[in-house]
Amino acid sequence: MSKYFHDLWSAIFSSMVGMGITLKHMFLIRKGNVTLQYPEEKWPRPERKIGYDLKDYNVIRSRLHHNIDDCTGCNKCARACPVGCIKVETMKVPKGTDLGTTSNDTIKRLLVTRFDIDMTECMYCNLCTYPCPEECIFMTGGPNSSKHPLDYEYSEYDRRNLVFNFAKVTQEEIDKYTIPPPEEQQKDEVESS
Amino acid sequence: MTVDVLIDWLANLVDFPELAFILAVLICAIPAFLFIAVYALVAIYGELKISSFMQDKVGPMGQGPGLHAGKWGLLQPVADALKLLLKEDIIPASADTKLFILAPFIVFIGAFISFAALPFNQNLIIADMNIGVFYILAVSSLGVIGLIVAGWSSNNKWSLYGAMRSSAQIVSYEIPAALSIVVVIMLTGTLSMQGIIQHQDGLVWGILPNWIIFQNPFTFLAFFVFFISGVSECNRTPFDIPEAESELVAGTFTEYSGMRYAFFFLSEYANMFIVSGVAAVGFLGGWHSPIPGFLEAPGWGLFWFLFKVGMLIFVMMWFRWTFPRLRVDQLMNICWKVLLPMALLNIFGVGIWTVLAGR
Repeated sequence: MSKYFHDLWSAIFSSMVGMGITLKHMFLIRKGNVTLQYPEEKWPRPERKIGYDLKDYNVIRSRLHHNIDDCTGCNKCARACPVGCIKVETMKVPKGTDLGTTSNDTIKRLLVTRFDIDMTECMYCNLCTYPCPEECIFMTGGPNSSKHPLDYEYSEYDRRNLVFNFAKVTQEEIDKYTIPPPEEQQKDEVESS
Repeated sequence: MTVDVLIDWLANLVDFPELAFILAVLICAIPAFLFIAVYALVAIYGELKISSFMQDKVGPMGQGPGLHAGKWGLLQPVADALKLLLKEDIIPASADTKLFILAPFIVFIGAFISFAALPFNQNLIIADMNIGVFYILAVSSLGVIGLIVAGWSSNNKWSLYGAMRSSAQIVSYEIPAALSIVVVIMLTGTLSMQGIIQHQDGLVWGILPNWIIFQNPFTFLAFFVFFISGVSECNRTPFDIPEAESELVAGTFTEYSGMRYAFFFLSEYANMFIVSGVAAVGFLGGWHSPIPGFLEAPGWGLFWFLFKVGMLIFVMMWFRWTFPRLRVDQLMNICWKVLLPMALLNIFGVGIWTVLAGR
């Protein structure tokens, strides 16, 4: 009989302890919350210790980034890309047009009308960065973190947003620099079509 | 507002007493159904959030409609309801089709018609019967038949196990629940819900409100016996062996999908409301405010009743996310060896207390 009441008491007591624990967790949810609302919040990025100097080899390839101000439109990166995720279109400009220079003091001769990187296709091989004469296409992170703020987990709600358009040329600029085709050539085109 | 008043009023307007009866019942039943539906949405949202918070999660969250489920996931229950509405209605080939279709309605009707006797405030009661408590106890256990029918007609071993377990459980736990309500009836001397509440007016022990739970130690115990039995009658965790997910897939509801499953779900939440409502009326003073004479207007009466019911439903959810499920033998052990002796002790104790203390 005493065991019966002892069991009863211990059952009630342990139930109360358990309910206290859950209630405490409920009210301290702001403190104890472990869920991260992922696309809006991100964990702080941990420091990486990989055993050798990062400057020797860029192991951190967070995202392929392009600095359009330094681009000469040489198309070398697009040719180096094994998967063809870089699309470059350039346009000849009339003689004497000043398009400025890159940071390496190379004169820009072509107008880059399109520079798209499709990050859904990119396989982070880093091959496009070596041929670039101006070093304007690079992987963010690692030794390049001074060039561009670290950009990782660039998640999007729409897949189309993962195609990054780097070209800044407006339609007005294209119209301004377009060389009018010679009239004879125009006639030939009409006839052939 | 009672249904009798409506019937009389409509009978004066039209010459058909049958039509007046049907109209009056419809006028009472449709708001009750809408109330259950809205309350179920709120309760589901509350359950999602409470369960998440107790497990250190945040529950449904979102930035706005379209993305996830609205601000703080407020649209999550709406999305759930829509999903259930749009789902394919599957009837297994080997099922007993007629009974399979009938079962959810039996379960829901058992929960739904109990609302007729719940007093929401001083005037707002569909039918203030002179056997109100008895009616609710009788009608709310109709759901067992529906569960057995559902389990049998599904032609599935898990469903049948669930049905057997739930019938054993609900029939067993009816006894301590009913014996605890007997304590209330002994003290108030009436079976009418409004009569029971009107009895709990004023103060007791000089400071506490004159609710039955505070009137003597035995009624205090009786409240907990009734509430635990009530949780069990609703098939809520820790007494959810009829639909034990980890053992029986979904128990009685294994073969149900879409709207039919939604009706079981709705009746579970309606049953929670009824058990909490009877506990609030019988032991916690119904629509009386905690401070006698303070905020006692009918509007506040509705608030106090819903507040008490809401707190009891919160406690049920709290139980669910605290305690692990009981084994079948442990469940029966608690019912017959702990709650039933306690309920009998309460009856004797309250009887002796009433004789000695004179109230």
